[in-house]
Amino acid sequence: MTAPVPLRFTLNARSQTIEVPTSRVLSDLLTETFGLHGARVACGRGLCGACTVLVDGEPRAACSTFAWEVEGAIVETIEGLGGASPVQAAFAAVSAFQCGYCTPGMILLATALLRADPDPCRATVRDWLSSNLCRCTGYAVIEEAVLAAAAAIRAARA
Amino acid sequence: MIRADAAAKVAGTARYTVDAAAPGMLHAKLLRSGRVHARVIAVDAAAARAVPGVHAVLTAFDLAPVPMPVYGYYIKDQPILTDHVRYRGDPVAAVAAETEAAALAALRLIRVTYADLPAVPDIAAALAPDAPALFPEAPFGIVPAYGAGAAGRLRPVPNVCFDFTYTRGAPDAFAACDHVWEDRFSFPRMTHAHLEPFVCLARWHADGLLEIETSNQNPFPLRRELGRIFGIPETRIAVRVPFVGGGFGAKNNCKTEPLAALLAQVTGRPVRLCLTMEEGFLTNTQHAATIRLRTGAMADGTLVARSAEVLLDAGAYADGSPLVAERAAYRAAGPYRWAHVQAAAACVMTNTAPAGPFRGFGGTQVTWAGESQIDMIARRLGRDPLDLRRQNLLAPGEAYAPGDTPLDSDVAAVMDLVADAMGRSRAPGRGLGLAIGFKDGGGVNKPAQARVKANAAGDVWLACGSVEMGQGAQTAMAAVVAGVLGCDPGRVTVAPIDTRHTPFDQGTNASSGVAVMGRAVQAAAEGLRDQVLEFAAARLGLPASDLVLVDWAVAHGNERRPLAPMILRHFGGTGFEFTAEGFWKQPNDPAAPMGSPCPFWEVSVAGAEVSVDEGTGRVTVHRLIVASDAGHALAPDVVRGQDEGGALMGLGQALFERMLWDGGTLVNIDPLRYRMPMAEDLPADFRSLAHAQGLGPGPGGAKGVGEGAILPVAAAIANAIDDAAGVRITALPLSPDRVLAALAARGAVDD
Repeated sequence: MTAPVPLRFTLNARSQTIEVPTSRVLSDLLTETFGLHGARVACGRGLCGACTVLVDGEPRAACSTFAWEVEGAIVETIEGLGGASPVQAAFAAVSAFQCGYCTPGMILLATALLRADPDPCRATVRDWLSSNLCRCTGYAVIEEAVLAAAAAIRAARA
Repeated sequence: MIRADAAAKVAGTARYTVDAAAPGMLHAKLLRSGRVHARVIAVDAAAARAVPGVHAVLTAFDLAPVPMPVYGYYIKDQPILTDHVRYRGDPVAAVAAETEAAALAALRLIRVTYADLPAVPDIAAALAPDAPALFPEAPFGIVPAYGAGAAGRLRPVPNVCFDFTYTRGAPDAFAACDHVWEDRFSFPRMTHAHLEPFVCLARWHADGLLEIETSNQNPFPLRRELGRIFGIPETRIAVRVPFVGGGFGAKNNCKTEPLAALLAQVTGRPVRLCLTMEEGFLTNTQHAATIRLRTGAMADGTLVARSAEVLLDAGAYADGSPLVAERAAYRAAGPYRWAHVQAAAACVMTNTAPAGPFRGFGGTQVTWAGESQIDMIARRLGRDPLDLRRQNLLAPGEAYAPGDTPLDSDVAAVMDLVADAMGRSRAPGRGLGLAIGFKDGGGVNKPAQARVKANAAGDVWLACGSVEMGQGAQTAMAAVVAGVLGCDPGRVTVAPIDTRHTPFDQGTNASSGVAVMGRAVQAAAEGLRDQVLEFAAARLGLPASDLVLVDWAVAHGNERRPLAPMILRHFGGTGFEFTAEGFWKQPNDPAAPMGSPCPFWEVSVAGAEVSVDEGTGRVTVHRLIVASDAGHALAPDVVRGQDEGGALMGLGQALFERMLWDGGTLVNIDPLRYRMPMAEDLPADFRSLAHAQGLGPGPGGAKGVGEGAILPVAAAIANAIDDAAGVRITALPLSPDRVLAALAARGAVDD
């Protein structure tokens, strides 16, 4: 156990000031301190993407990010999306999930993609999704969901 | 359609065992042996026990108070903790501590003294005449009752824990054949790689109740095992299963649960045991196999006789291996008509991680061999592979084996559907291949019970033991209930699984959801509907047969009478709940080889288009199209998910997935070195075709679809490689080194 350090960051639009041991990883912090379970750990090595959260808008593996690394940063988890965001709605509409374990990470990954590129081609979507593992779906339906969400977001803006 | 679990899963609020916690909870960690095969002489845990926060350190020498500290399916050979290390990774000690960090710190202080034994790292070593036995004495085991032509044996030789044979027709059929071909195939093992780890939370309550929340596919068999291990009645056990984050077969029988329960008993605290993904790789695997097929045919292409010898690498403990052996042998005939079949499968014990159930369950191994060989035979006879298949395919209604369920699919129609989608002519430099996946579906001896209840307002609860592990069980079962009750599926809530309240079920496996449990659920819903109609008929003074239930109203002709006021008026203001039970079990029949006729036949077809880079040996799959006969798609998204998910798992198996063992050490033990399909591996054209012939036994003619699509993919790709490059590869995966070697050998023959 290491000495606690102060940590100030924004979590799902609320500013937080806490103390954390330097050894604490972000996924444990979210679960144990804030009761947020969406960033679930699978491989624990930053390889599978199941625990993806957005740190200043960038997808990060929460299992392999120290809590102190998010000092001053904006952290978004699946719980911060509210359940009815365009990406979430698209995933629900086409059943772009099965066991659901990778789903929060996939949704956050897609959310980051569509903020960066509101009109991605299929190859771009496939390239982005390749950072996260899904053992259930076969991915094609996830691609469809992301493309459908992109269309919905563009339509809402038009 | 919106799946029943959609809202919770996209919002991130779905609850899994991995989320479970309890006040005062301890964390358990396991010391896994670094030896491949060894005796544990002594364990010094004094320093570990002295680590602050550590509540218990247990070894095999501490198990005396446990009545039966071993588990397994037919063979109870796997100890909770071992003093005989049978694979590198076998747990020899367990720690429970206030934090995971303290538990890990304690593990590092445990000193184990070993006496190494000669290693038996693979099938060949295990079957060598002087091989050391993994089990010097036979463990307790049983052989179930089989039907006509089938037989099983425990431990025919010391390193084979079980073998199984199935025979029909006379062996002299081979003598009458114009051709007899013998080919050998090999098959490596995959890891399930379910993303939610093996995890459970165990606690003993003051009243003696053992409560376990766990990520497990079969809560009731687990309850039975725990009762036997701890010597307590099942009434003192509650197994609860929330959403499961993937299983694919791995989460059957006991895994983490007995040890967590023991640590909880010893410490008097709730204990959480959560394995890492690396530990998951070492806990359960698919079966590697070698398959020898001998096939006799007439000059006109008529298939006559088939013999199959399957050696399965069972790893260090039997786990589900005997059941997989049964299926590997029984399924080795494929969907074709034979005068004679002789199939044998043996479970060979090796000093590697235990192998067990894996999506496809022995069918994957023999489909790889069988659907490769049928193409090889077509080429030898100068025949089109599809035409040769068509000539020999069983017809709908025809018997696969005497005593078993007649074929309930038009397999040729599924084949033609895929072949038409692929197109019959190939582009320059490309090759086309097709293969058929075929297996008995729904399992054997799987009683399923279900309960449906509805309140005065028409809100419906369904209680059944089908675990929602992603396959869509809740959605499909809710659709069955809604269909019978004439209500929106959104009115049906599936109750959480708790073995104290949930009706009995044998387990969530064998693609048995709609064809077995679906029928129990349907019966329960029909019982409830009939009660409601009888109740309304008595109130209205009309015959029940004239009434129809629609949106919690009874319709009589054009007139609709809402039920809620009728119920409240009769039962009083607090209302009433209608409740009905349903049951289904395929009847036993000694004429059926597996002891009962299979609930249905699971049929799938894969078509692949590939090109082969002759410089690098790399195979590119440009198109992969699969179709299965769903019978009736209760939930089309769910069927699609099973087909495409299974097909991509098959693609991984075909091209790159394999656990690499080096003398008993698993080399690629994480998802970096063990390659799994990613989105970028999707073929440019990857599709599943919706298809349902309506001949299944489930509601509306539905059949199971959980495993079919993984079966044919590897053979379809190997067949396409042969079509593209003229080389036949009989070992998986179809990796660049193998392709280059085959291309070089082709050149040598050509020269």
